[in-house]
Amino acid sequence: MSSIDITAAPAEPLRERKVSARIWRLAFASIEFRIGLAVLVLLIAAAVLYPSLSGIDPVKMNIKAKLTPPLFMGEGWAWSHPLGTDQLGRDMLVRALVGLRYSLLIGVSTTVLMLLVGALVGLFAGYFGGRTDMVLMRLTDAQLSIPMIILAITILGVSRPTIPSIILVLGLAGWPVYARVMRSTAMSERKKEYVRGAMVLGATDWRIMFALILPLVLPPMAFVAVLDIARMMIFESVLGFLGLGVQPPTPTFGNIIADGRKYLMNAWWIATMPGVFMVLVLTSINLMGASLERARNAIYGGA
Amino acid sequence: MLDGIRNRTLLSVRNLSVAAGDRTILDGVSFDLQPRQILSVIGESGSGKTVLARTLASWLSPPLRVAGGEVLFEGRDLLADPAHARSLAGRKIAYVGGNPAGALDPTMTVGAQLVEKLRAVRPDIPAAKARDKAIQLLKAVRIPAAEQRFHEYPFQYSGGMMQRAMIVDALISDPALLVADNITQPLDVTVAAQILKLMRELNAEFSTAILFICSSLPVACDAADEVMVLHKGRVVERQAPAALTALPQHAYTHALIAELPTLWQGGPDRRRAPAAERPVMSVRGVSKAYETRGKSGRALVQAVRNVDFDVFSGDNFGIVGESGCGKSSLMRLLTGLERPDGGQILFKGEDVGAASPGRLRELRREFQLVLQDPYGSLPPQSSIGAILEEPLKIHRIGSRAERRDRARAAMSEVGLHPGLYESLPTGLSAGQRQRLNVARAMILEPDLLIMDETLSALDQTEQGKLLDLFERLQAQHGFTYIFISHDLTMVRQVCSRIAVMYLGEAVEVAPNGRLFFDPGHPYTRALLSAAPTLEPRRYRPEDCLLEGEPPSPIDLPPGCAFASRCPHVMDRCRRDNPALLSRGDQALAACFLNESKEAAHV
Repeated sequence: MSSIDITAAPAEPLRERKVSARIWRLAFASIEFRIGLAVLVLLIAAAVLYPSLSGIDPVKMNIKAKLTPPLFMGEGWAWSHPLGTDQLGRDMLVRALVGLRYSLLIGVSTTVLMLLVGALVGLFAGYFGGRTDMVLMRLTDAQLSIPMIILAITILGVSRPTIPSIILVLGLAGWPVYARVMRSTAMSERKKEYVRGAMVLGATDWRIMFALILPLVLPPMAFVAVLDIARMMIFESVLGFLGLGVQPPTPTFGNIIADGRKYLMNAWWIATMPGVFMVLVLTSINLMGASLERARNAIYGGA
Repeated sequence: MLDGIRNRTLLSVRNLSVAAGDRTILDGVSFDLQPRQILSVIGESGSGKTVLARTLASWLSPPLRVAGGEVLFEGRDLLADPAHARSLAGRKIAYVGGNPAGALDPTMTVGAQLVEKLRAVRPDIPAAKARDKAIQLLKAVRIPAAEQRFHEYPFQYSGGMMQRAMIVDALISDPALLVADNITQPLDVTVAAQILKLMRELNAEFSTAILFICSSLPVACDAADEVMVLHKGRVVERQAPAALTALPQHAYTHALIAELPTLWQGGPDRRRAPAAERPVMSVRGVSKAYETRGKSGRALVQAVRNVDFDVFSGDNFGIVGESGCGKSSLMRLLTGLERPDGGQILFKGEDVGAASPGRLRELRREFQLVLQDPYGSLPPQSSIGAILEEPLKIHRIGSRAERRDRARAAMSEVGLHPGLYESLPTGLSAGQRQRLNVARAMILEPDLLIMDETLSALDQTEQGKLLDLFERLQAQHGFTYIFISHDLTMVRQVCSRIAVMYLGEAVEVAPNGRLFFDPGHPYTRALLSAAPTLEPRRYRPEDCLLEGEPPSPIDLPPGCAFASRCPHVMDRCRRDNPALLSRGDQALAACFLNESKEAAHV
């Protein structure tokens, strides 16, 4: 009687690595990931280091050098202002990099906050169902029914618009979408056989939720959330445009664009530079996210 | 046979080879099919049966591609003329698959889908005519109240009815050839037997040739005029069923027949001597009802009703019954996933149904469940090692290194290479996945393992290997097994005592031999008559086979639940529900016939 047959030994020694290590390795092997990483690191390093290293004050005005165009872009450009100057002669490169700091801070932390709150609410609602689900979801609906701008005007109009309060307002307005998505995926996952298997093994609800379901459904959601970083940066600009954002003279993408709008005909670069930086940042994040997602699918798909 | 039309061969396959990448799936397959003939194709999983079916239905998708050969249908080569092949697919060549629930569109009524199908291939037929034809065919496949059922959605159909609707879907365009790919596999034995009978009648009535693909030799022999054996992509043998079983030509067929488990004759036997002391698990009058909301408001589905049995230490206990009989509900109660409405489930004297959540978690170390679905039951993105360590982590056993060692030890014990520790289960076959499931369940060193249809997704060879593994593990660790299954032949091989369930009730609990040679309940006899086997049957289907399907568990009539399908029904059966009473020698059955027999003896 043939009692047992041992399966063949795996072919490559690479399989002995941890699954997560294999995913990162595969992602890092792709050229897109490396380009994205390089651009992002460069931008962040520039935003963190350049303003202090160059010693240029982003709010120092110099009326004589106002509206200098960027390098090689029209008459009167100067090496001292690689990206030109604005209507008050402030250096655009430093302003854009300082703006990038704030915008990135606001965009990323808002998205993380949104994802965190939304995922938790959705996970609880979807996993437990019944009354928990009803209460949490009605709360979500209530939140959804308040337009973001009105919420922002009320909260930021009453208190001072500081960066933490802006993050809070934007995060508060954004989480219901994530809660909805998370709830439906958690609901469908929790009915699957492997969840029942874990229950029979004696796993607690917490363990199933946080060790089993969350790691499974969070990555695809985080991938979508990356796109929301851009949305939040733009919303911050909208708030800045209404005068409810970060207050001048601190430069953010929002108030730089708001300023530059008036000079669009004769100094297009003022409003354009924040956009260029935003495109660079988001493209690099998306490149990394996409190759990470591809690596995940390849590994979990059986590569 | 049918010499007059022999020159008009319907389908002729010549040297057909199909490859995926550089792997050959089908290798030089040649056969002929005459009009009105039923040809069975059998082989183990991976032998290329489904690929053959899909090639004929012009339904090959990359990476599969035809590497060579001809498929002549009514004299024209389908492979050389894909446009012609496409025009035939669904019209002259119809295909029925094994997953009716997946093949029907859940958002359309069954009738609308059938009409749509017919009008897609034959736009010239007016809608009203198509409708009449669909209803007529639904009647032909014995769908009760076909006019009303025509307007119902797939979810209102049972599995057997959906499969019949799929057969109608295939037949509605009057095909000359029907390719039936594993159509009876997901069905219960009694329903599968009805479908097989139906196929034969339809074959006679509509003169359709049928290529019947399945993985079970007895079913293939039952269904067909001739049986073709496929092994590793090659046709190794083709004979009439009687000749094939009596005188197999090829060594593979020989092996296939030899390892086939039997119900009444000798054969592979893994039975243990029945143990009768120290019950590990005692089920006492357990019942469970679920509330549903239907058309007529709220209703109670009585999933488990008053079930009573003992499982003894070191024993193999079997629970058999068709789908919807409450097996799975009972499994959920036994494992403490749900609590019973009434009665007690005692595990080593402790009531599982009443235990606190914390206590239940501790108890779970001692009884474990191995689930049915090899694909859905494993977390999709955990490595094999992490899956095996999970139970140890849950119960906080051992250090990191110890857990790793135990996981590796369990892997080699069930026959998985420990080098797969960091691999994902994605690359494993169904059999290997079930080994992993078994390893996960036994890593906590439980006393009782509940196997919920653990082997039903595997082919005969794999089943045999896993049963050997179970036997070895039992000898080493002293496990007690409860096998929940619909497969009588499997239960016959391994279990010493068996409970038969029907509509939530245990209608018979008896030792193995007694159940198969002297069943005490007409339903057991019906199950035995429908079981696929090559042996001479002790119970003839004509006497015992059931018509129709079990009544809905929502509105159970008073009296015996089996009364509506029972061939021996008496007036009393419709009034009173018989209790599970002893017939001597540990055999119990719930039928009034036993009383009257005993009375006759006295």
